[in-house]
Amino acid sequence: MKRTMCLTLALSFLLTGMIFAGGSQDQSASLSSGTSASGLTYTGDLEIMHFSTSEESEGNGGSEGLRKMLNDWDSDEGRINLVQTILANDEYKKQIAVLAAANDLPDVFLLQGMNTKAWVEQGLVLDMTEIINDSPYADQYDTSKFFPFSANGKVYGLPVLTGGTCSVVVYDSKAWKDAGYDSFPETWDEVVAASEYFNSMGVDTISFGNSGKWQINSCFLSTIGNRFTGSDWFYSLIEKSGASFTDQDFVDALKFTQDIFASGVFNPDFNAVNNEDARELYIAGESAAFIGGNWDVSYIQATLDGTDLYDTTKFAVLPQPEGATGAYKTHDIGLGFAVAINPRLKDDPAKLEAAINLAYKMTGADFASYVGENYALGGVTKVGSLDLSKFDQYTQDFYNFSYVDNEPCDIYDSFISSAVWDVLNTDLQTMLNGHIDPETVAKNAQAAYLANY
Amino acid sequence: MLTAAIKPKKRVIFLYLLIPMAVYIFVVFIPLVAAFFYSFFEWKGGPNKTFIGFGNYAALIKDTTFWESFGHNMYIVIACIIGQVGLAFVFAMMISSRLVRLKGIHRTFCFFPNTISAVSIGFIWTMIYDYRRGILNWFLKLIGRPDMVKVWLNEPDLVLPLISIPLIWQYIGFYMVIIISAIASVDKEIFEVAELDGANGIQRAFHIVLPLIKNTLLVCVTLCIAGNMKVFDHIFVMTAGGPGNASNVMAMYGYKIAFDQQNMGYGTTISLAIFVLSMTVIGGSQVLVKILTKEKETL
Amino acid sequence: MIMSSSNGIEDTIVLDRIPEAGIRGEKILSSLSRRVQSVILNGILGLFSITCIFPLVWLFYSSLKLKRNFNSNIIGLPKEPTFENYIRIMTNPDYHIWSSMVNSARNTVMSVALIIFFGFIVGYILARIRFRGNFLIKVMFLLGLVIPVYSLMVPIYVLFSRAGLSNKWFTLVIPYLAFGLPIAIFLVDGYIRAVPKELEEAAAIDGSSFTRTLFQIIMPLSTPILVTIGIIQTFSCWNEFVFALLLLKRQSIQTVPLAMTQFTGQFSSDYPKIMAALLLTMSPIIVFYFVFSRQIIKGMVSGAVKG
Repeated sequence: MKRTMCLTLALSFLLTGMIFAGGSQDQSASLSSGTSASGLTYTGDLEIMHFSTSEESEGNGGSEGLRKMLNDWDSDEGRINLVQTILANDEYKKQIAVLAAANDLPDVFLLQGMNTKAWVEQGLVLDMTEIINDSPYADQYDTSKFFPFSANGKVYGLPVLTGGTCSVVVYDSKAWKDAGYDSFPETWDEVVAASEYFNSMGVDTISFGNSGKWQINSCFLSTIGNRFTGSDWFYSLIEKSGASFTDQDFVDALKFTQDIFASGVFNPDFNAVNNEDARELYIAGESAAFIGGNWDVSYIQATLDGTDLYDTTKFAVLPQPEGATGAYKTHDIGLGFAVAINPRLKDDPAKLEAAINLAYKMTGADFASYVGENYALGGVTKVGSLDLSKFDQYTQDFYNFSYVDNEPCDIYDSFISSAVWDVLNTDLQTMLNGHIDPETVAKNAQAAYLANY
Repeated sequence: MLTAAIKPKKRVIFLYLLIPMAVYIFVVFIPLVAAFFYSFFEWKGGPNKTFIGFGNYAALIKDTTFWESFGHNMYIVIACIIGQVGLAFVFAMMISSRLVRLKGIHRTFCFFPNTISAVSIGFIWTMIYDYRRGILNWFLKLIGRPDMVKVWLNEPDLVLPLISIPLIWQYIGFYMVIIISAIASVDKEIFEVAELDGANGIQRAFHIVLPLIKNTLLVCVTLCIAGNMKVFDHIFVMTAGGPGNASNVMAMYGYKIAFDQQNMGYGTTISLAIFVLSMTVIGGSQVLVKILTKEKETL
Repeated sequence: MIMSSSNGIEDTIVLDRIPEAGIRGEKILSSLSRRVQSVILNGILGLFSITCIFPLVWLFYSSLKLKRNFNSNIIGLPKEPTFENYIRIMTNPDYHIWSSMVNSARNTVMSVALIIFFGFIVGYILARIRFRGNFLIKVMFLLGLVIPVYSLMVPIYVLFSRAGLSNKWFTLVIPYLAFGLPIAIFLVDGYIRAVPKELEEAAAIDGSSFTRTLFQIIMPLSTPILVTIGIIQTFSCWNEFVFALLLLKRQSIQTVPLAMTQFTGQFSSDYPKIMAALLLTMSPIIVFYFVFSRQIIKGMVSGAVKG
């Protein structure tokens, strides 16, 4: 028996060694001859992995636009076979993490902001600084959008899809008028005051869903934190130049967050329902307002269109907390993903050229005009001024909210490291239930930050 | 007596075992050895790994979240041994009673939840526990107890039993069919007179049927422990481990570390810990059962 | 250590006592308490059966709702039932629902057949034959029961892609077999231990070879547990997701659960449509299960060993 065991173990180790240690990567250069309409010389497969499923693209302008660009490109470049692996977002993130760990990323993929630093250090993404400078749309790019995908002064991705706010108050202006407010209150104290009225009416003041744990971070704390700490604090955190999660301003923001969720302004089950359930409360008239992101806004639009509530629905930034010293009219907005290219393509210049061409197509003027004209949305490329008049009031209002009236601030989880946010988000959920205090949350987040970033 | 049929040649055994063993070693054992290898590295995000010796293991021992999750697993394991295997045995005995009609329908229906994927089961039960529209709160209001209405899955003290219930409910049918088929191997005539009728019948169930299918029940308990030590999907859908970490389990913690936090090295360490702990618990249960049955035999 | 067998003499003694005890008990019971018992037993089982089947009913009528109506009332019956969801699924070429069903069916049939076949052989050998390494092999298979699949995703991915086994039409059969074997082996092992050894001994005296005894005498006897394994594994293979996600990229070979993810968006989920898709994709095995449930159950209880 001992011998059998030794033999099995030895064999297993040997096989393991053979399979895992020697990674022979056969990168057969494909033959190319002649040129395509766009001058590309590459012939063969080009892999891309993304998460714009057809379900996703229904009612989501950016997603639908991206699918159109990819399909157009595929049919224009007849000699190149665009191999698309399309997974729903959750599965995409899981699969791309496996592929990154196995060093087997596809030719072209979507890079999430918070992974940029780590993946760049590991050589998983191609430096695209030159590529972006050489782009036909170089002077049209909104360069501030490159920030989450930058490291060491270089840019590693072309931001993709559309820029959308992550924290917007969607409210029923009629209900709030009845409560005595001409527009959504500018301070949380007023909201708390108004909640007495709404509670007596039997509706929730604001609905919010945090069962997924990321919502409190993306749709609330990123903006509220900014109101307390200002943007420099977060930049300092990103640059590792002194700021800490335990800084008093940030702890104050946490303290405020805990208090406001304990005040009864929100639906009692906010920690057990997700944002989809919470926005249904708004749609059904069971809450007077809802906090969510642009994805919720487009869903609410598609659902409410043609109803009275549709006409009275307006948008506002999160109210200002008491004691916050930062700018008021801010909301966290940005592009969470960027087109990135596998550095292995450098070995095959023709293929790399094709991949670059595809990246331009996915994020360039074609895409921007398509989503602008059809959905009043904007991507990384700026295209002329948009004629808003053909859109209805809801779309116009939201366009102005997103791009005109308010100042952007950063989405926390587009930066730093997923490990930090996972720890923070879990603690935040417990904190909102009142089971740990803000100081501990800050301390744990800081520990995760020091350990992982 | 020891002829070829009972004691075949080594070569014959070897040939019969070759293919299944080869496939099994390839898919399960080699990745496991690889995972063991990886657990000595810091391996975050991409493919680069740094050797850190027992660093991950040292971190694991101090990781309170992990041990808290282990405690939750143990809770679920115990609840499910009683709920899944225990109730399955009781139901199997009940179905075998001559008093019960529509036996075929019961057997068919009880197994049905097993045909649905874990994700759908989780989804269905989320709807039951829902604060506003859920069946549970609707029922409480119906019987005039609106004071008991709760945001069920947001109660740290209740969330573990609440997520155990769907697990029990889904797998009763699973263990029931196993137990029924084990009972079928027992002589029918013997079994029919041992049917459940009154306190006497219950006694008979334990004294006659239980020893006869002891081996199968042991397999059931082993499967139950193994399954619940790595339980994941149901909880992922219902609470994602929340509120906070109140319903976190080891497999979910490992998953979060490996994928949400992209810390593959520590993630593999956790999974190794999961199955070392699982093996320990299974081994412990075998010893326990042996001691218990020994005592019974001497009585 | 794992599963010790200790039946034999003790059981035989117990068996001899039963008939008398049973008859005596029956006489004592009055018809009234019998009726009360009958009501209770049937009531409990009936209630449980209803809760087990209700999800199917609920899934079905909910799939006839539109998203809006579902979200406003998740339990109630649809006021305006519609097949809209089904039509949208079946007419959308992106969903490739049909090809995924074919793939799932092929994977499931192949995997289940292999699991039953090899599970039976290994289970029998481990239960009956003493040889060096028996215990070791058992422990190895026990390991397979306790491995959290998610944690082996990266090693398995690397292994399959290096070995060139990813993205093939038969790819999934390999892990399904490997991860299905432990349960099958332990069930067979537990079952065989309850089967009296005399059968094989008698066969051996008749000069039957090991292989013949295995397949012609033991296998028919083991029908109940093999059918049970078949049922259990059919559904777990059909519903399996992690390996399908990990090892298959080509859309033409994707299985049902993977195709299902096309129905969920990042921020919006159309539940009634997901349910419609779920029912549609589950329908082959549900129909199979209910149509053949009589035969399945017959198989499950057929192999009673006499004496």
